[in-house]
Amino acid sequence: MGSFRREKDEEEDGPTNAYQNLEKTSVLQETRTFNETPVNARKCIHILTKILYLINQGEQLVAREATDCFFAMTKLFQSKDVVLRRMVYLGIKELSSIAEDVIIVTSSLTKDMTGKEDLYRAAAIRALCSITDHTMLQAVERYMKQCIVDKNAAVSCAALVSSLRLANTAGDVVKRWANEAQEALNSDNIMVQYHALGLLYHIRKSDRLAVSKLVNKLTRGSLKSPYAVCMLIRIACKLIEEEDIPAEELADSPLYTFIESCLRHKSEMVIYEAAHAIVNMKNTNPRMLSPAFSILQLFCSSVKATLRFAAVRTLNKVAMTHPAAVTTCNLDLEGLITDTNRSVATLAITTLLKTGAESSVERLMKQISTFVAEISDEFKVVVVHAICALCAKYPRKHTVLMNFLSGMLREEGGLEYKTSIVDTIITIIEENVDAKESGLSHLCEFIEDCEHVSLAVRILHLLGKEGPFAATPSKYIRFIYNRVILESPIVRAAAVTALAQFGASCPALLANILVLLGRCQMDLDDEVRDRATYYLTILNSAKPELYKNYIIERENCSLALLEKALADHLNGDLQNHFDISIVPKAAIVKPEITNDVMMVTSAPRAPKITREEESAARLAQLPGIQVLGPIHRSTAPIQLTESETEYTVQCIKHIFAEFVVLQFDCLNTLAEQFLENVRVELTVPEGFIIRKIVPCPKLAYNELQTTFVIVEFPRDVSSSIATFGATLRFVVKDCDPVTGEPDSDEGYDDEYMLEDLDITVADQIQKTKKNNFQVAWDAADSEEWLQAEDTFVLSAVNNLQDAVNTIIKLLGLGPANLSEKVQEGTHLHTVLCSGTFRGGIEVLVRAKLALSEGVTLNLTVRSTDQDVAELITAAIG
Amino acid sequence: MLALINRILDWFKSIFWKEEMELTLVGLQFSGKTTFVNVIASGQFAEDMIPTVGFNMRKITKGNVTIKVWDIGGQPRFRSMWERYCRGVNAIVYMVDAADLDKLEASRNELHSLLDKPQLNGIPVLVLGNKRDLPGALDETGLIERMNLSSIQDREICCYSISCKEKDNIDITLQWLIQHSKSQSR
Repeated sequence: MGSFRREKDEEEDGPTNAYQNLEKTSVLQETRTFNETPVNARKCIHILTKILYLINQGEQLVAREATDCFFAMTKLFQSKDVVLRRMVYLGIKELSSIAEDVIIVTSSLTKDMTGKEDLYRAAAIRALCSITDHTMLQAVERYMKQCIVDKNAAVSCAALVSSLRLANTAGDVVKRWANEAQEALNSDNIMVQYHALGLLYHIRKSDRLAVSKLVNKLTRGSLKSPYAVCMLIRIACKLIEEEDIPAEELADSPLYTFIESCLRHKSEMVIYEAAHAIVNMKNTNPRMLSPAFSILQLFCSSVKATLRFAAVRTLNKVAMTHPAAVTTCNLDLEGLITDTNRSVATLAITTLLKTGAESSVERLMKQISTFVAEISDEFKVVVVHAICALCAKYPRKHTVLMNFLSGMLREEGGLEYKTSIVDTIITIIEENVDAKESGLSHLCEFIEDCEHVSLAVRILHLLGKEGPFAATPSKYIRFIYNRVILESPIVRAAAVTALAQFGASCPALLANILVLLGRCQMDLDDEVRDRATYYLTILNSAKPELYKNYIIERENCSLALLEKALADHLNGDLQNHFDISIVPKAAIVKPEITNDVMMVTSAPRAPKITREEESAARLAQLPGIQVLGPIHRSTAPIQLTESETEYTVQCIKHIFAEFVVLQFDCLNTLAEQFLENVRVELTVPEGFIIRKIVPCPKLAYNELQTTFVIVEFPRDVSSSIATFGATLRFVVKDCDPVTGEPDSDEGYDDEYMLEDLDITVADQIQKTKKNNFQVAWDAADSEEWLQAEDTFVLSAVNNLQDAVNTIIKLLGLGPANLSEKVQEGTHLHTVLCSGTFRGGIEVLVRAKLALSEGVTLNLTVRSTDQDVAELITAAIG
Repeated sequence: MLALINRILDWFKSIFWKEEMELTLVGLQFSGKTTFVNVIASGQFAEDMIPTVGFNMRKITKGNVTIKVWDIGGQPRFRSMWERYCRGVNAIVYMVDAADLDKLEASRNELHSLLDKPQLNGIPVLVLGNKRDLPGALDETGLIERMNLSSIQDREICCYSISCKEKDNIDITLQWLIQHSKSQSR
């Protein structure tokens, strides 16, 4: 490092990076110097710096290179140079994941971490943790325990943090260090205390009782470290969230009392954390919120920019959940609009936009446009989100907002920023019919000069969906065809598809479209030509039903399952044709809304898959499951037992065309029992036939195992709604709670009553999303479609939104055209929704609602099956 | 007085004729490698040693020679790494537990496969049969025969029977080592 600085000084002509033009191979050659004796520390430090620089610039070393480099580096342990040794530690950490046989330095590092040189110890621990796997951990366990309770704070911190990292791979070993961590928790050093709490919490995380004990003990105020108190607040919040304490009890709960008391802590960090925690809690009432908001309000006028930023950011986040409370801070927020810190100003304005009155929108927009060019992309996204919220609130302001958005769209910006703008415009178009035309034309203008392929493709798709139904569809064709001439193959292909949509939906334009598609057949790219040919053939056939099925409404297969089915097909007998109907339809995956702010540890997000895809993989293990055909739908798990009972059972219903597969996930919570031959016995009403029971052979303590029951639906659809009685049956063997081994082979039969299980209409319906419901509805007015109609009075609900929610939930249908949102202050509303009943029977529902005494509902169901249509009308009554 | 003069003489010698040598100590686990390093470095013998996980680096000064010892762990997982530390050293010291007859074959195989590595051509080898104080331990001739040392013709090879516990033959071992530092530097 020393040499780095020196070289920089020598550079007279401006700052240049001495490491700029390094080449990997030559640097690796230089590592031969490490083998020389005596060790030239200065030279070796320089070489190590180069290696670290390369790795951190993203240069990839292959295993052999890394291993050679690593072993050369181990030779440097003979030098006593302190700086060199610490560089070696850094090198070890960087190479530990790439090089082989890295455990060779274990002994040298343990020597350093227990040695006298304090400069070595903490760094050696961190390096050791990066090379240790759980088989080696036993060998160093003793030293780690010693270091956790070391009186040197840096050593203790390093050991605690390293333990936390090791806990991910070797949790069982690290668990044994709880006593040491407990001792470190009593340390006077603030960082040691913080890390000790982190480790203790991680060790006990899975045991809720132990966590609440820990929290209860610590909330009585033994913690000195403000960091540890912040951590404790987060843990307490997590407990509150898990226990889901209702608002009226929350105020008296000791956990809440603790967080509330932290509002009066002497450290600003703790005060902020407590306020942030309270405003983000789920079950709160205004009385509980007001002290937290006063704190945030106070921070808004702080002299410290960090505090202002933290407060405004928090207010911005919760502006939609607690608008009334945030409004009380409006005066302070107004003061921050002109804050010298642009980030604070942006957040203040966007918060005001979210909560402010309709009249102030224009003023605020003007204010923000003065400096929007100066703020970073990240904050521009915040602004865009605020505008999005605003559009939903004040639809009449769409012209102002749309103009602002299109202005932003024209400026420079990254993909994420542009995506958020386009998302917002699309949302506005979907929600607000008046804004559709202007929104589409803004988007058209945008794709004329758009460098982001993914956005161009999305917009072209949208134009294909919405354009044909606009007032003058022809004006979009020029924009789309321009893409065909000017863009990359991916965009061209999307443009061809969009053109075909116009051809299929606007008969007047068909002739022109055919000419354009004909030209596309000359394209250089295979995909573009293929699409053009495909669409030309269909459009030339002049059969509207072909248009509908192959152009306007393409079936959405679940892509993951389609891929799997195709792979299976290729591995199987190729004589048979591939049948696309066995692939389940994709469900609409709604992004899950999780409260990220309160997470204590953030796990990496799992890739998003639908429940159907997840269960298809699990069900594939069942023998003979293929005969049931493709899976239609899987329901969310339902609990059949109270939580905290001897055995807990939850059930997932997998619906097939004629069968239902009931998956029971059983958990045995008795340590002294070992269960065998666990199965669920059902009492089914007449018509249902139990086809097969797949028992679970062994169920040990605290293991989640699964048993299945396959039931055939009655032929008569109208009797497919039923309630099953369920009993868990099993053979109990007493066992030693420690080893889990049964005491003897003798067991006795036992049973356990489960709650009843319902099969509802919603279970049997998979949501679909129709983009143009009206078209589908009108098309369903034909011979093969049947209709059922009925009128009800819903007395249990007293406003339209509740009624709409109930209907959608009861029927399990997907709403179309955003009809699930009821405008405020109206007395009439129409919900349009659609779905697929098991067996692939399409269902379209139009529900007209009127608010009078109760809610009067006129329900019209169109379906290809009379029984299904009647079943659905009956479900409401 | 005489001792003082001798020490001053030694010190002068070490200034003018200072020599360095590097050697690598390998062999199966529990043969006494780390114990041997401790004995030649400080003369201390301890019964209860923990297995070496990785390697130990020690510098020992004997007279005017500084010996750098790489003491590598003998557990199977480390054996593949022996070669890396044997490259370019002045001598390889191979430790054998002469009293553990069951492991002799494994020890022989490891030695021969190590010496077959082309990178280590010509490096002198000293085979030490440790634990001669134990009953039933092999002597030099027994070791030479059982370890098949006579088949190694392409380099200098020597075999001593020693005991770290009784400090038997440690002196001749050191002498051999010091000689080899000279022969290399010439």
